[in-house]
Amino acid sequence: MSDNPVGMRDGLAVSARELLARAAAAELRAYKGLMVAVEDFFLPEEARLDEHSRAGLAALLRSLVETVEGEIREHAVRLLTGHGESVLVGALIEPGTSVLTRLWNSGLLRDGDLMEELIARVRQEMLGAALPMSAPDDPERPSLINRFVQHPDRVVAASAMAVLIAESRRRTSPDTGQYQTELPAELHHRLVWWTAAALRERVEGANETLDQALCDAAQRSLSAYDEGDRLEAAAMRFAAAIDAQPRELAGMFVESLGDRRIVLFIALLGHALGVPYALARDLVLDPAGERLWLALRALEIGREGVAQIGYALSEADPRRDLEKFADTLDTIAAILPVEARAALAPLKLDPDYRAALIALQRGGAK
Amino acid sequence: MNVLDPSLPLAIGRLDGEGRLLDAEARLFELNMRAGGMIGAPLAVPQIATLARLSQRLGIAISRNVIAADGEDDLELWVRAEPDQGGVRLEVSGWRLRPGWRTPASEPERDGDFFRSAADWLWETDASLRITFLSIEAGARYGFDSSAMLGQPLTRLFRLEQDEAGELPILTAVAAQGRFDGQKAELRGTGRMVRLAATPRTDPGGRFAGFVGAAHMLDQAVPAAPKVDAPVPAAAVPFGGFPDSFSQRLDRALRGPLGKIIANADSISAQTEGPLKPDYAEYASDIANAGRHLLGLVDDLVDLQAIERDDFDTASEEIDLADVARRAAGLLAVRAAQAEVRIDRPAMDESIPVQGEFRRALQVLVNLIGNAVRYSPPGAMVWIRLERDEARGHVIVADQGKGIAHADQDKIFEKFGRVDPAEPGGSGLGLYIARRLARAMGGDLVVDSAPGQGARFVFSLPIKQ
Repeated sequence: MSDNPVGMRDGLAVSARELLARAAAAELRAYKGLMVAVEDFFLPEEARLDEHSRAGLAALLRSLVETVEGEIREHAVRLLTGHGESVLVGALIEPGTSVLTRLWNSGLLRDGDLMEELIARVRQEMLGAALPMSAPDDPERPSLINRFVQHPDRVVAASAMAVLIAESRRRTSPDTGQYQTELPAELHHRLVWWTAAALRERVEGANETLDQALCDAAQRSLSAYDEGDRLEAAAMRFAAAIDAQPRELAGMFVESLGDRRIVLFIALLGHALGVPYALARDLVLDPAGERLWLALRALEIGREGVAQIGYALSEADPRRDLEKFADTLDTIAAILPVEARAALAPLKLDPDYRAALIALQRGGAK
Repeated sequence: MNVLDPSLPLAIGRLDGEGRLLDAEARLFELNMRAGGMIGAPLAVPQIATLARLSQRLGIAISRNVIAADGEDDLELWVRAEPDQGGVRLEVSGWRLRPGWRTPASEPERDGDFFRSAADWLWETDASLRITFLSIEAGARYGFDSSAMLGQPLTRLFRLEQDEAGELPILTAVAAQGRFDGQKAELRGTGRMVRLAATPRTDPGGRFAGFVGAAHMLDQAVPAAPKVDAPVPAAAVPFGGFPDSFSQRLDRALRGPLGKIIANADSISAQTEGPLKPDYAEYASDIANAGRHLLGLVDDLVDLQAIERDDFDTASEEIDLADVARRAAGLLAVRAAQAEVRIDRPAMDESIPVQGEFRRALQVLVNLIGNAVRYSPPGAMVWIRLERDEARGHVIVADQGKGIAHADQDKIFEKFGRVDPAEPGGSGLGLYIARRLARAMGGDLVVDSAPGQGARFVFSLPIKQ
């Protein structure tokens, strides 16, 4: 530390009064920082996001917001340029507070639905990347999805191809211009309008012309978006196209995990159970796993199949307890499919009805 | 070390229902014995015993990649356990030594990342070499239909070319389940050439499960937007297609944080703040080593971009080649001591005034002496000798390593040229950069060596006029 405090910006000596004011502010800041740390410390460990997911979530959020921002800004600039509004164009492209920072600080991003989707997506990707690869016994045998690309039924072949394309697109870097948010339409909708609003706020002297341009740009982004292009949607269409028979299911489940295609595994499970993708994903990502074991039994997957699926998921997810799974395996295998189906029946009710029931419970006192 | 040789011995063993060893083939038997076990007693290698017990409880065959201690060494094993007649049948292969000093991210993996980071686009296949992933934007950029290629055999996308030896590097790599680089191919139907490089994917049983690969376009003519105006002056072609400012940003963004990581990890490892569990201190030293590798890579990348620019130039100062050599030797004294290698440096009274840039000459010599130390066996000597003729002053760096075969002597100066990719070491850029620097200063860098006789590098600079 230097003996002569000097302002970092202008290089001028700092006055005593300013120092005192800063010290007072620092005290308050330290107190607030402490309160956050205390809060953080007492959070139950199993409920906290681990560092890996946290970093993944931050990166995902950034690429989503920046992608939407890029789209809207670019189109709005084009519209404004067409109207000769060079001042507004200048203000819109000027670097300022980032849209992400603005949305972050506003608390809008604490949206439960959005966060649920994003956290699930991050966990799903981490799980997929950590699954142990499994090489085929016959080296000439293509992986599961690649075999279906060659299928004589064109509907099946096309839907398999669509999964491969969607997955390659999902893994594209956000800089390539091919990146999409791949959010469910409702969430994409929300994000687009938030972003347009945050862009407006940055422009000093915003007027009706700017509002109109931002609205048009947002509308354009919404109409160009098709949630059917999402990897999850493509995988569900594939699962429906092949409509795996009960006796094929166990093999396909195990093989899709061995190919590290977690989205495909979830879609096969969802289709077989007759539940939406998001619900099947919940079952698969839940480290406790009970609902997944029930679901597998409901589909009449035998002890060996359940063991292979449980082993692969445990190897990939450090939150799972492999020893405990091995202990309960016999109990799981003893559950009759008819019992399992009865226990899972509520999952098949209308998702909105289920959501309402849960919301009512969370709401508290009768 | 990372080439998975399928011919590596497989040792089979059987356990009874209580986890006791019934019989085992030689390698497994010996490993178990060295760990204190014997026939009729529970398996003494804990990781393998755990896997066997799990396989029995789950009732399925399972495989894991296991690191087992064997005396002073760590062995990397592929273990497959399968329930069998009330007990468990074990198949153990791999049997590769994992030296304790190796950084956790092994060299080929780092090289793999390096190739991919500089690649124009990426691809992946399954075990049958059918494409499972493609950079989706590559098709539009280079004139093929990415989506139609997914799920197809790799050879549908690429027409593979033989190398000078008449072989296809990719097939050699499939057979050896190793990595390859320098597979030339045509992007079918486009007339455009690419260089392919890839690392194999391996399942926990040690079996080949596909390639994770990169493609580098060999022709620079990226189809640009149709030109409207008069020809624009061509920008210096930046390395790997990165924008010109990339290396500066990389340098700025990484050097500071990496320096901090290394310094902190070093002080944790040295236990300056108090005692620490030994394995944590070792982790910290791994972190510091990995950081140093990364820093080296940043240096190489920045240099590479600098020297490949058309307007690259060096300063012409009067320098004393003997002094530069002594300083370079001094900089490497610690590393040499750690490797138990002695450096015989020029005497203090020797002097050869030459023309060159001090910093760059020092860089060349640090690289040469560093290599000599790295490839020297313990107890060996590295000689630094000075010579001069009418036009040039020479520094000769000679070692007692295994030498460089005549056929490989050009290869070591190539970009990414490494004689033995399994050998630990740098990015394959050091000598390429060193020679470019020597020539930019009006000098040269050559090698003469024969296998078994050590390597002898001669770095020359023009005598001061």
